[in-house]
Amino acid sequence: MKNKIINWFLWVGLIVIVAIIPKVFGAYYVSLIVTFAVFAVLSVSLNVLLGFTGLLSFGHAMFFGAGGYGTALALKHIAGLSLLSSVGIGVLSASVLALVLCPLVVRVSGTAFAMLHLAFAQLMYVLALKLRGITGGEDGIGNFPIPPFTIPGVVSFNMKGVPENFYYFAMIVLGLSVWLMWFFTKTPFGQIQVGIRDNAKRIDYLGFKVSHTKAVVYVVSAAFAGVAGSVYAIFHNLVSADGSLGVLVSFQPIINTMIGGVGSFFGPIWGTAIFQILEEIIVRFTDRVELVIGVTLILVIMFAPQGLAGWITTLKQRFFSASSHKLEKIS
Amino acid sequence: MKCIGKSVLIFLCIFSLFSLTIYSPSTAMAAKAIPGSMAEKVPKVNAAFDVNKMGNMSDFDPSNPIIPTGDTIKIAVVWPFSGPGALNGEIAWIGFAWVAHDINKRGGIWVDGKKKLIEMIKADSMSKPDQAKKICERMVLQEKVNILVGTSGSNIQKIINETGATHKVLTVNIGSLADELNDATNFSRYNFMSSDSTEQIGRAMAYFYGQIRKKEKKFYILCQDYSFGHGLAEGFKTGLKEYYPEAQIVGEDYHKLFLTDFAPYLTKIKASGAEVIYTGDWTPDAGNLLKQSRQTGIMTPFANIFMDEPIMLHEVGVEGTKGLMHIDHYNMPNMFKNPGYVKYYSIWHKLWETKWKTAPFNSTLFAHGTGTIGSWTQQIYWMLSVVERAKSTDPEKVIKVWEGDTYKFVNGRIIKMRACDHKAIQDFEIAEYVTPEQQKVYFSIPPYHWFTGASGPGPAWLVPAAKALPWIDQKLERCADKNGWGE
Repeated sequence: MKNKIINWFLWVGLIVIVAIIPKVFGAYYVSLIVTFAVFAVLSVSLNVLLGFTGLLSFGHAMFFGAGGYGTALALKHIAGLSLLSSVGIGVLSASVLALVLCPLVVRVSGTAFAMLHLAFAQLMYVLALKLRGITGGEDGIGNFPIPPFTIPGVVSFNMKGVPENFYYFAMIVLGLSVWLMWFFTKTPFGQIQVGIRDNAKRIDYLGFKVSHTKAVVYVVSAAFAGVAGSVYAIFHNLVSADGSLGVLVSFQPIINTMIGGVGSFFGPIWGTAIFQILEEIIVRFTDRVELVIGVTLILVIMFAPQGLAGWITTLKQRFFSASSHKLEKIS
Repeated sequence: MKCIGKSVLIFLCIFSLFSLTIYSPSTAMAAKAIPGSMAEKVPKVNAAFDVNKMGNMSDFDPSNPIIPTGDTIKIAVVWPFSGPGALNGEIAWIGFAWVAHDINKRGGIWVDGKKKLIEMIKADSMSKPDQAKKICERMVLQEKVNILVGTSGSNIQKIINETGATHKVLTVNIGSLADELNDATNFSRYNFMSSDSTEQIGRAMAYFYGQIRKKEKKFYILCQDYSFGHGLAEGFKTGLKEYYPEAQIVGEDYHKLFLTDFAPYLTKIKASGAEVIYTGDWTPDAGNLLKQSRQTGIMTPFANIFMDEPIMLHEVGVEGTKGLMHIDHYNMPNMFKNPGYVKYYSIWHKLWETKWKTAPFNSTLFAHGTGTIGSWTQQIYWMLSVVERAKSTDPEKVIKVWEGDTYKFVNGRIIKMRACDHKAIQDFEIAEYVTPEQQKVYFSIPPYHWFTGASGPGPAWLVPAAKALPWIDQKLERCADKNGWGE
């Protein structure tokens, strides 16, 4: 009961903090937080595959990009499209792409799964560059109209040129996505996911269809990567091959997850936050950001292979076992 | 009778001397002689670079620039300073640092009621759109810069312009040439495109081949696959239709930015029988393309705009670089006959020889300060001249002065800002690369050649502005019913 009350207080506190950020900090930090939220959702969506199902993808950017391009193309070509519908189209694009790929990819795992995704992501990247008439090639699609967020007859918020409004919209959409993914992992289906990660054969013997389960997880993960990509495209009013489909966009969530902790649901969010903060500090002293981040990654892999979340758990266990050992001695 | 004869003789002598004085072929006069040139169209400019007013540059070192802080005019230099396009950032940086050093040595610029120094801030775009967006926002919201200046890559410049438009900050485009940056869709009052533009370059090159050179007829277009490359190709094709209808495009290809293997394209070029390869590639693509073409035995000349980077030219050597046809947005025929320019050039070159000892500024790339370096440097001078004349950093006041403004570069090049769409009008020089021994025709001061290890500009021709006016988008309300001169 006590824990529940504390949890409620924590959640209310977090919501209040998120709500007042634009009032306290300037537009620049608001932009940083939106970027953080986008990549946090992308990283969590990757972790649904990697941490919970044991599937490492080197091509998660293709779903991020599909979401972005889907939204940008919809807003460019469909007059009068609402903001939420455009995000919906982005999510749909990523989901359809995952549906097309899943009959093939769910049959493989390990290195084959990772490399197959790298290949597909590169294919998407090259297609985005080559289909200039549709995707804008190297220029990408920019300056597309951004509709206001409207609840008919109730309220309408302008999204272009008002960073504060977009911040609230993005935080709601992305926050809801994280919550849905968290909820997903807590369902019985989510437990099967973990079972597949730990021992796929046993799950098969238990009568569950492993490949079907993987396919559902795959599409769900892609859909949320699509949400992130869609919001990112609207946020920048631009979607480009390098910014959305590049190999670095695929590796970014992997690194975030490694730093934050692969097994933990919130680990990738910590990882994203650490990176954002690190980058923000480093860039004030040197433009060799990648170098410092690379060194950080090496240190984490060497000394905290379970990431920040794992390190905190280890510390807790040590602290707990030390205090319990003390208690035992006293008694 | 004898007396009358003597008087007539004296009169004739005086008249001849007078005529010679009036019509002596100075640089300005030579430009004036060409109909449709800027010298003819703009007989009097609003402002001009005066070499005699320059500050003491003897302690200028681009590796260790003196950057003032405090209440300054803050200018963000948005360029790639890391990644494959980093060299472009260094080229830009030396220009910015040079101008800031000069202006600061003069005591700064009188704006908003006080004299302010110039503070340049590096903003690394890494040639990536999302990074560019992030860095531009940081510059505007955190560093509170007065002006954002960019860049190599029209896709990145578009982001700079959009950021400026959103936050009502002045943006200046000195390095991106895509026409669409200032079309009806993308035009922003806060952006000025003081650089040249793609259709201008394409049409000027076509005019040169069709109306001046009249030799080669088979052209192969190979450009970078983004708005700049496509715009440049379109300009060339439009120009050929207009000035050289009998010319033939034997192939057309677009490659990814920062490509390392040009072999597939070169094979096609070889098979096409092209007499000229038309390319807009910039560093490092320009260098890789030239090197690989020569290594594969393709000696076809390139009609180019950025294939003038000396380090790469030296790697290819004199023979491989001979015959390149280079269109320049800075150099002017006979500029070494202009004493003001020679003085300016000497200051730069002497510093390069004696003071700049750190890479990359000690390399041959920075030896002369001409070409792109010269163009960018003079555009920055123009921008600050406008700010000085506006007596303010307030974008609205700067816009008022810059629209329709005319300025003369140190080498005599005249440039005009078309008021309706903020695009620059100027003449172009096209030069043929020849061996060092033949360069005296252009480089008319000692040592009478650019370099000894590579070919360089020799015979040069002026393409008058009227033949290559920047494309005007009639859909842009401000430009409706305006001609190419914006009138």
